[in-house]
Amino acid sequence: MTQIAPLQMHFRLPLDRFALEVEYTTTQQVTGVFGVSGAGKTSLLESLAGLRRGVQGVIRLGHDTWLDSSQKVYLPPNRRHIGYVPQESLLFPHKNVRENLLAGAGRARKNGQPLEALFRRVTDLLDVETLLARRVDTLSGGERQRVALGRAICSGPRILLLDEPLASLDVGLRYKILPFLHRIKKEFRIPIILVSHDPVEVQALCDELLVLKEGKIIDRGAPRQVLTNPEIFPVASREGFQNIFPAIVHKHEAEISLLRMGEADSDIEIVVPRVEASPGARVLVSIAAYEIILGTRRPEGLSARNILPARVRSVHSAGTLNLLTARLAENVPDLVVELTEHSCREMDLRPGKPVYLIIKTASWRIHHEE
Amino acid sequence: MSETTISALLLTLKTASLSTLIVMIPGTLLAYALARYAFPGKDIIATLVGLPLVMPPTAVGYLLLKLFSTHGLLGPDTLGFNPDILLTWKAVVVACSVMATPLVVRTARVTFEGINPRLEVMARTLGHGRVKTFFLYTLPLATRGLLAALILGFTRAVGEFGATITIAGNIPGRTQTLSTAIFTAQQVGRDREAYFLLAVALLVGFAAIMASEYLARKGPGYLAG
Repeated sequence: MTQIAPLQMHFRLPLDRFALEVEYTTTQQVTGVFGVSGAGKTSLLESLAGLRRGVQGVIRLGHDTWLDSSQKVYLPPNRRHIGYVPQESLLFPHKNVRENLLAGAGRARKNGQPLEALFRRVTDLLDVETLLARRVDTLSGGERQRVALGRAICSGPRILLLDEPLASLDVGLRYKILPFLHRIKKEFRIPIILVSHDPVEVQALCDELLVLKEGKIIDRGAPRQVLTNPEIFPVASREGFQNIFPAIVHKHEAEISLLRMGEADSDIEIVVPRVEASPGARVLVSIAAYEIILGTRRPEGLSARNILPARVRSVHSAGTLNLLTARLAENVPDLVVELTEHSCREMDLRPGKPVYLIIKTASWRIHHEE
Repeated sequence: MSETTISALLLTLKTASLSTLIVMIPGTLLAYALARYAFPGKDIIATLVGLPLVMPPTAVGYLLLKLFSTHGLLGPDTLGFNPDILLTWKAVVVACSVMATPLVVRTARVTFEGINPRLEVMARTLGHGRVKTFFLYTLPLATRGLLAALILGFTRAVGEFGATITIAGNIPGRTQTLSTAIFTAQQVGRDREAYFLLAVALLVGFAAIMASEYLARKGPGYLAG
């Protein structure tokens, strides 16, 4: 597997109310940029893309220097070899889908990429073969975003910059695009910077997350760890923390499906609404932290189908709430449960204590089938 | 129909086409600069270019006359050679070009302002330089508006009277155009000739407005390919 080219950002950009100050080097494939709107996320992306004047500092990707203000180096956007996908997709209205996809093909060819193979791979991966002859104004929102993604990749970029690629879509559609992003991550070993304020999206895709607040990086780390950080959690989302983990379809029974948590075939089995995927298929499952009920004894006579034994790993405060991390088994991801301070005290929840996680079948959400 | 009428029509076709060509390219570039960039003197340039739209054409003609006269800024004395413009067909082209410029630049500017600059940004991120982006993306997106600018410029040139008669005169067979020929025919009472020329003028005007109406109809700024 090829190495991911390291991305080095060390720059400053004065904005209206504050200055964007970025000091960040990464070799992770997918870096999420997270924060409330107005925190400077898009400015960061545009600085990387070379769309902002007045950026002072250094930006390097691998051995290429894009910006070094002390050496008066400032590469224009067309020489940075980036694939940029904006929120509004911005397809070229005078070109059809095929022409849009090939809009940056000149660069891919110049970089010595086998264009035809790349084009076929992209159309296949993003499922746009049937759209090729269509005018872009006849496409749905989800189709537009897929074409915008495809157009970026067909230009043979060395890095992908995605600016809330799902934000303009409604929730139902949003999670239909996720699998495509996932495929791109796996298929193309290039770094991706993903701007997002959707905790599900960042957890599902990002290897590392950095959090921006008024232009400063206030936290970085694994998405789960960052999102449950008491400082970050309150800003993270109105919906609270979302647990996201991979699972494998085990079997179907009438209107329900049985999944096994984790990448490997674990023995932690969960009951979810029927999934349209054959046994053995991988899926991504999510559950909101507030939808998990905690018991200290195994409950009986309950309608909930999922009663999972676990052990408390940690409890920490996040504003008015407590976040409890529960371990189900060694080889599956921990689940985060939202609780009130009061319940924590009442139930005497301390690390090491055995508990039961109670989850209704309908509470699980299946995000995509790979 | 007299020979001079035919020659007036041919001269009009030639001078209007030439001046449209002369104005279109720099006019389009200027319009783009006005639509996209901020630069010192921008307002002054936009105002100067717009002036012929509001000034009496005869005043513009008089200004041009002074400019091209023997001691004028663009006259033989200053240039060191005689461009031989005044009272020739070239004077017609000069007058028409100056008078058509504001319409062309304004129409083109509005067209460019209507194109999302972020589309150009996307073209840049896909590896295209500024020049390529302009020719491969901006211009194709502006086809409708630029075509409308071209038509408006051309018809303005066809109809030009005041500035033309001031610097080119109204010499039958040499500098007489459609509009000056109508004036002459009506003055001397050659009604049949005047009617004929009127019909031509109506036809050109009708076609031009129809075409620009079609182009301005609500729809994308580019022609569907």
